[in-house]
Amino acid sequence: MFPMHFQLLQACLLLLACLTTLVVGTSNSSTSTGEHAANFFGRHDSTSGHTNNWAVLVCASRYWFNYRHMANALGMYRTVKRLGIPDSNIILMLADDVACNTRNKFAGSVYAEAGRRLDLYGENIEVDYRGYEVTVENFIRLLTGRVDPSMPRSKRLLTDDRSNIFVYMTGHGGNEFLKFQDQEEISAFDIADAFEQMWQKKRYNEILFMIDTCQANTMYSQFYSPNILSTGSSEIGENSYSYENDNDIGVSVIDSYTHYVLKFMEGINKTSQTSMQDLFNSYDPVKIHSHPGIGSDLFHRPLDKALITDFFGGVAQAEVFPSQEDACLIGHHESGSTSLPFAPESGAPSLPVVTSPSTLTVEMHVWDSQWKEVRKWFSVFVVGCLVSWVSFVR
Amino acid sequence: MLLIPIPLLSQGTYIDENALQPAQVNTYWNWGDVHTADLHMYQLDGIVDRNLTSEQRAEFFRMEFSKLGLAASTQNYTFTTSKGTISGNNAYAVMSSPRAAGTEAMVISASWLSTAGHGALNVRGISTVLSLAAFLKDYSLWAKDIIFVISDDYLHGMHAWLNAYHGTIPSNLHTDPLEHISGVIWTALNIDYSGHSFSHLGVFHEGLNGRLPNQDLINSFRFISHYTGGLPMTVYDHLEPADLVDRWSEWSVLPSWTPAFIRRSPQLQQYEYRARNVVRHIGYQARGMCSGVHGLFHQFRIDAITIFAVPAKGPHGFHALGKIVESTLRTMNNLLERLHASFFFYILTSPGTFLKIGMFLPSAILVSVAMLFKGLGEWVDAGWVREVSEVSLKGTGSLEKEPKTKDTWRNRRRPMLSVLITMVATHVLGVLVFNLLCSRRFDENRSFFVPAILAAVSMIPPALLPLLPKNTPEVAPSSVLLKSSNLCLASTVISIMSLLNFSLAAMLALTMGVPLATSSRSSSMTTSLLRYAAYCILAWGWLVLLPEEVESAIWNWEVLGVWFAPFVCIVYAPLVMQAGIVCLQGSS
Amino acid sequence: MDEGTVLPVLVCFRLLLAVLPLPGQHILKHDHQINSPLTSYLRLKEGLWMLDNNVDPYMGGSFHHSPLLLSVFSTILPPIPIIWAVSDAVGAWALLRIWRARQGLSLHRATTSTAESLIVSAYILNPYLLFPSLALSTSTFENSFTLLTLMFASEGKPSSALLAIAFTINLSPYSILLLLPILMLLVTSPASQLASPRPFHGSINRIASLFGEFMLYWLVLVGAACIIADGSWSWMKASWGASLTLPDLTPNPGLWWYFFTEMFDHFRPFFLMVFSVHLVIYILPVCIKFQHDPLYAAFLLIGVLGTFKAYLTLADPGLFLSMISLFPEVHGYLRHPIVTTLLHLHAALLLPLQHILWVSEGRGNANFYYAASLVMGMAGGAGLVDACWAGMRIALGDVKVESEGKGQVARWEVARWEVAQE
Repeated sequence: MFPMHFQLLQACLLLLACLTTLVVGTSNSSTSTGEHAANFFGRHDSTSGHTNNWAVLVCASRYWFNYRHMANALGMYRTVKRLGIPDSNIILMLADDVACNTRNKFAGSVYAEAGRRLDLYGENIEVDYRGYEVTVENFIRLLTGRVDPSMPRSKRLLTDDRSNIFVYMTGHGGNEFLKFQDQEEISAFDIADAFEQMWQKKRYNEILFMIDTCQANTMYSQFYSPNILSTGSSEIGENSYSYENDNDIGVSVIDSYTHYVLKFMEGINKTSQTSMQDLFNSYDPVKIHSHPGIGSDLFHRPLDKALITDFFGGVAQAEVFPSQEDACLIGHHESGSTSLPFAPESGAPSLPVVTSPSTLTVEMHVWDSQWKEVRKWFSVFVVGCLVSWVSFVR
Repeated sequence: MLLIPIPLLSQGTYIDENALQPAQVNTYWNWGDVHTADLHMYQLDGIVDRNLTSEQRAEFFRMEFSKLGLAASTQNYTFTTSKGTISGNNAYAVMSSPRAAGTEAMVISASWLSTAGHGALNVRGISTVLSLAAFLKDYSLWAKDIIFVISDDYLHGMHAWLNAYHGTIPSNLHTDPLEHISGVIWTALNIDYSGHSFSHLGVFHEGLNGRLPNQDLINSFRFISHYTGGLPMTVYDHLEPADLVDRWSEWSVLPSWTPAFIRRSPQLQQYEYRARNVVRHIGYQARGMCSGVHGLFHQFRIDAITIFAVPAKGPHGFHALGKIVESTLRTMNNLLERLHASFFFYILTSPGTFLKIGMFLPSAILVSVAMLFKGLGEWVDAGWVREVSEVSLKGTGSLEKEPKTKDTWRNRRRPMLSVLITMVATHVLGVLVFNLLCSRRFDENRSFFVPAILAAVSMIPPALLPLLPKNTPEVAPSSVLLKSSNLCLASTVISIMSLLNFSLAAMLALTMGVPLATSSRSSSMTTSLLRYAAYCILAWGWLVLLPEEVESAIWNWEVLGVWFAPFVCIVYAPLVMQAGIVCLQGSS
Repeated sequence: MDEGTVLPVLVCFRLLLAVLPLPGQHILKHDHQINSPLTSYLRLKEGLWMLDNNVDPYMGGSFHHSPLLLSVFSTILPPIPIIWAVSDAVGAWALLRIWRARQGLSLHRATTSTAESLIVSAYILNPYLLFPSLALSTSTFENSFTLLTLMFASEGKPSSALLAIAFTINLSPYSILLLLPILMLLVTSPASQLASPRPFHGSINRIASLFGEFMLYWLVLVGAACIIADGSWSWMKASWGASLTLPDLTPNPGLWWYFFTEMFDHFRPFFLMVFSVHLVIYILPVCIKFQHDPLYAAFLLIGVLGTFKAYLTLADPGLFLSMISLFPEVHGYLRHPIVTTLLHLHAALLLPLQHILWVSEGRGNANFYYAASLVMGMAGGAGLVDACWAGMRIALGDVKVESEGKGQVARWEVARWEVAQE
């Protein structure tokens, strides 16, 4: 009996111990893996709280002599792609196709420096909006997400409230406006309102707005939504100048401000800890020939804590959802919402009346022209009656 | 008007069109191409030596173009004028743009004869065009077709080619449709290089009937010539005072006895230089003449200039010219639309400065307005002159109430009918004279017709004058009315002409302004006859005094459609004649 | 030339012009000074063609003519130049009859005066009227109907006059401005009362009944128009609506088009209203001021139309200028006839010149042409103001004759005044 008792006790103890170790071990291992994961995927020093990165790069002006604006946007494209934002998260809007312009001596290529060492166009470029698709309306629709259901995914900004968006614009502008395609303008208010709409629709976590145009700093003067960091190339009343031109291409190839920003970016890699403050410190009004501006009043974080890669880099971060059920619920919700557009079809389509259409039209035609003749003569007859009656009465 | 050349009034030229991007390209025209040009030049020298006919020449050019693989052809044309027929042969080639649709085109042309005159042949200009054709065809960046034209003679060859190209063949031109056609021509460069080498490139810009090319073209060319070619551009073949430090005295019109400090004053030299440019400009524009082959393009809305290699001992040649033309073509290639900014009204006072329309237009408009007010004043006087004169006799401002003569305002009607008839008659007379001038018989018996016309036009008005109703004391004198309407009409003509052709308006303001305003009747018969004779000479004197001008004006009218000759005959001379009749009427 | 033969001779001349193949007619038909989208012959032809091919002419927005023109030209009359010549002749004849009615002369008098030949030639030889007529612009019909209206009204034939004005309004809705003076004219006399103004003495009730008659005719015409337009109302928007909403901004010598090319779209309705109402404003003041002489009031309103209406062509000021010859009594009181003449001379030369500079030569731009049309507007305005002023001053009597008695000072004053005005 005793040994049995003892055995039972032993077993119980063992079980208890096992359970304890198990519990302890489980708890131990769960914390350590969580930390590990956080260390691996996390944001290190970043306090941004975003989980994905997007970039919207807009070149708003067309024509061959605005080559440099295309090159600006493509230079930015190269940088954000290099720092890890995938093509699916980059919306590139180019108002013209200088690469294939007949005046381009180097067909199919766009260069942003005088020596023509780096072809920015090449094979792996995805231009999402090109040519006449680059309009103010399309740009606002893109930002606010109010696009046609038929719009392909590559032309949508599929952001959420954890997305950091880098918006870069270049073109010809003035005090609080930027010209699109040389025929319409977007005003600073339009962009500010679009950003506010995005904020209300939880379409972003933070925005970095960068613009290179004349009097660029006026463009972000009207922003009022939170979490927007903005910077522009020149003050009100100032022009933004081009940096250099290539004598074989025959036009200016890049703007000064963008050139220096890109040059700074060349020193950044995916794991770089350089902050936005460092970028802003690198601005040199003497070299740029204009006074770049920084609009950080809406931005809640200190600039030296905001990393360059928060906006330019692609964050690949795993997020642990609260529980399986919730996730399922969300998924269900999503699928439910996606199924909504399938409206029940109202009845069967009415059957077409099958009568020999050709003879009908001919008959209709004859009858029509006869009726027309009747109408013509009758109206003349009415007028004639009136005239004769009047002359008779008189 | 004398103020126009003052440097202060001019402003610096600038380039308005963003698309042009001048002087921003590397040029690849090198010594090999210069060698090609030299070879062409030797061939052309051979042609000149062998005295080939125009047809053979054109055929040679066509062959040269064909060898390059260009679509080349020749064009034969014949103009019929009152002085016989003019015929010739053009050669041209179309280089279609490698990557564009070919809806737009640029022209590079050279004429057989040079602007320099005296039968100078444009051999080097043509060699440049031929070698450029070989050179340009190797580049794929042309957004527009390039048409190479080697036109016969000086002006009429290109005129025939342009008319055939645009399908506007006038009735006196006989030519076949062109074999090769390209798109709409936007810009054209005409190359004129007759000397051995050159130091400056001159730009000629005046077109037919006072049209000017868009100034952006000239400004871009100046840029390119300066930065790419490294040689200065000049207006016409006038060298700037700075380039002529030691030789300025040869050019200056100031007599040698003026003190040296005056002659050497830079302000005065600058003024003189600009004045010479303005005078030359007005000389071309007022007569509606073009200053070179480029001028024929303007009527088809093509902006064109002639690049004239100012003959000198050196140091430049084909190398600089080719580079500059290549770079200019790149700039013209950049155009996205026609040059359009309102850069068509200007006076180029020096290569780098010009006068805006707002600065020079008032000089003519002021005269015109003054004439208008004078005319209106005469009109008021016509109704009131009698009473006013009596008042002034009695002492102005006298407030006495005195019995007046019985003529009242109502009696002093202003009968316009006879005045209108007089005016219409003079203009009809002008039309008749013009038709006579254009007839073949006039050309054959010039020595007889010139005095006859002069006598006829001066005798007809005095002979017909008695037919008009006599002045009665009740109505305003018709001479005053005629003067008033004459002034008003002249002022209208000047102000309207100033928009169309400023130089002509300025000339009209000079020749008509004071004479018309001072025409008046005189008490003595002799004085009025003398005055009448003076007006006759002012109106028609050019028939006798300037026979060459008459000839060239009529030729311009018949072949090129310059309306200067009919304008003078039908508008200007009758207006002056009316002023003469004012003098006559007073005396009769 | 015998005075009596002037009208036949000129009419023959006009018919000859219609028959002969003139060289420049093609250019005239495309000229913006004498053809507006509302009156252009080419557009009329297009409308007729569309009707023939069973297309609703009013659908595409290129056709703005009245449906009545469609029905007439598609049935009883082909649109040939002779009709325009006849219309001109009718206009001149009507002008002559108005003159006779105003002067109280018998209508079929054998003898005629110099003034009458002057009036006829002022109508047929007026370049502003001749060229539109040669270009086969339908404004010729509008002018003829306007003159017929005035003629019937002067001769006291109410039904005919009302029918004619109904036609005029159907062709060009702006002619509604003339309705009130014509009603007034029907109940009073056309004789010149300018020198002796007095209150309106016609019966108001009669005006009301005449207005009812007019509405009847007008509705019948609208009905006829609806019949040809196959019962739809789209023609109203296309033809009458065009002059109110200005859909086609083809340049013309008037003052509207440039404003509306430069205007932002959201101000457009407001300014369309302002411009249209501005025309209507003139009716009452002019009719009240000239209640003693409604024919003169009608003349002034024609002047208003000839200056300010939308889609102005030269034919509109032309009618006003030709009608000046009807009122010789005011000629002596015009303050600045020569200024008006010079303005018209400048405008007539500047309009085609600036048009060429802008459109064919490409040296100028739209502002050039608009400057010329401003000169035209000034010329119209100067003529109008002068006619208005002269019509009122004649009532004060001959100032200069009186001043003779008063002596030198008054005369000087007047002279200075004249000079200052000039």
